[in-house]
Amino acid sequence: MRTVLYDEHVRLGAKIVDFHGWEMPVWYSGIKDEHMATRTAAGLFDASHMGELFVSGQDCASFLDRILTRQIAPMKPGKVLYTFFLNDKGGIIDDLTVYCITPGIRYMLCVNASNTENDLAWIRSQNQENSIIEDRSPGTALLALQGPDSARILGDCLKFDLDSLRYFTFAELESSGYGRLLISKTGYTGAGGVEIFLQADHAPRLWRCLIDAGAVPCGLGARDTLRLEMGYPLHGNDIDEGTTPLEAHLDFAVDMDKPHFIGREALAEQLHKGLGRRLSGVELLDKGVPRQGFLCLKDDEQVGVITSGSISPVLGRGIALAYLDSSFQYGEEIAVEVRSKQLRAVVKKPPFVSGTLSK
Amino acid sequence: MNIPDDLLYTQDHEWGRIEDGTLRVGITDYAATELGDIVFVEFVEKGSHVAKGEAFGTIESVKAVSEVYAPASGTVTQINEPLADTPELLNQDCYGDAWMVVIEMDDPSEVKDLMDAPAYEEFLAQEAK
Repeated sequence: MRTVLYDEHVRLGAKIVDFHGWEMPVWYSGIKDEHMATRTAAGLFDASHMGELFVSGQDCASFLDRILTRQIAPMKPGKVLYTFFLNDKGGIIDDLTVYCITPGIRYMLCVNASNTENDLAWIRSQNQENSIIEDRSPGTALLALQGPDSARILGDCLKFDLDSLRYFTFAELESSGYGRLLISKTGYTGAGGVEIFLQADHAPRLWRCLIDAGAVPCGLGARDTLRLEMGYPLHGNDIDEGTTPLEAHLDFAVDMDKPHFIGREALAEQLHKGLGRRLSGVELLDKGVPRQGFLCLKDDEQVGVITSGSISPVLGRGIALAYLDSSFQYGEEIAVEVRSKQLRAVVKKPPFVSGTLSK
Repeated sequence: MNIPDDLLYTQDHEWGRIEDGTLRVGITDYAATELGDIVFVEFVEKGSHVAKGEAFGTIESVKAVSEVYAPASGTVTQINEPLADTPELLNQDCYGDAWMVVIEMDDPSEVKDLMDAPAYEEFLAQEAK
């Protein structure tokens, strides 16, 4: 599959890779350059492969409150929440953002590309409230403009004042030339900026305008290193149906005060019994690159496993997310086994770096 | 793609330069470009003996891990030590300052199995198909 921006990527000389069936750019000029451009100026990412599901109807807020881990009914229009679909064991079917378009009436859910079909099947199977569920993914593009220069570039291209939005809120506007836009002050980089949802056929022109205004096109490679520096989990790597949000240290996105949602009982039980493992940051002290599947050791005993790892372009050091025995404290030294050698590392609380940097 | 005329090439995208019975070894422009930003290198110890086709080191980019293989059998007599601190040099100057090791060949005639520049260019063209 290709997004509507595929031809733009090829024209920009992107190296294209397969990402869960999508032909996506992994980099244009290079991961490090794109990463640093996002931290210090502005990066532009094609996230059009992500899924956009609309849920509407009279009882849709109670439906969503049943299948999501946060309080949906009290959401105000223009509010965004990061939340999960859980199975009844508390395992994470997907992580997603919910956009409140009309309270109690209409919501948009932005889900992971590779999970869109599975998510749709799941929410349809749970829809006792007869809510209307529409998959608008094919006709919707998503551009993520991230970094400290985003506000200026948005002003240039869309005459939009980014300061008018608070973090995790969105605005809908009718633009001149790009159709109806949903601009959300969210992202997956920690660098600030926006994610812009729009009708797919307008996307190539807006993409070009943002680049002409100074945004640096960035591929999935930089998207991954940027999110890893922030400690943001990636579904399929760090979280999946076999891990709970509590184990993943994502308690902030679970509202245990809510009396019922699918998976709540399992989480309550886990809280009662105590967690065996927790997702933590790991920073290498020795030279090397931690990768998914590498073991974490303490006194030659396995104490955890890495679920995402790479080099931090900002620190120039290996960083990773790993499930470690929950007894580990931040600052404690461990070892990471890289090709049968033990490298020194330290347990850290992410983020590993600050989201924006001066040039 | 830069493929200097005076070098010999392997199918694993290493290059070799014959210098008085020794072989200076590095990776090609193609290899460096395909790997992307190289962030880590590690080689066998100086004095190690490597067989032709055997790995003499590991290079890692942000996204990938790759081994590098000896174009000929012999003893590793020199290692480009500074490369460990500046692995990015491999993306900038793979045929120059970013050479990797020098191998004192057991049998210098082994290099006849390596490709010259036109043959390597043809090999890359076939690989792209």
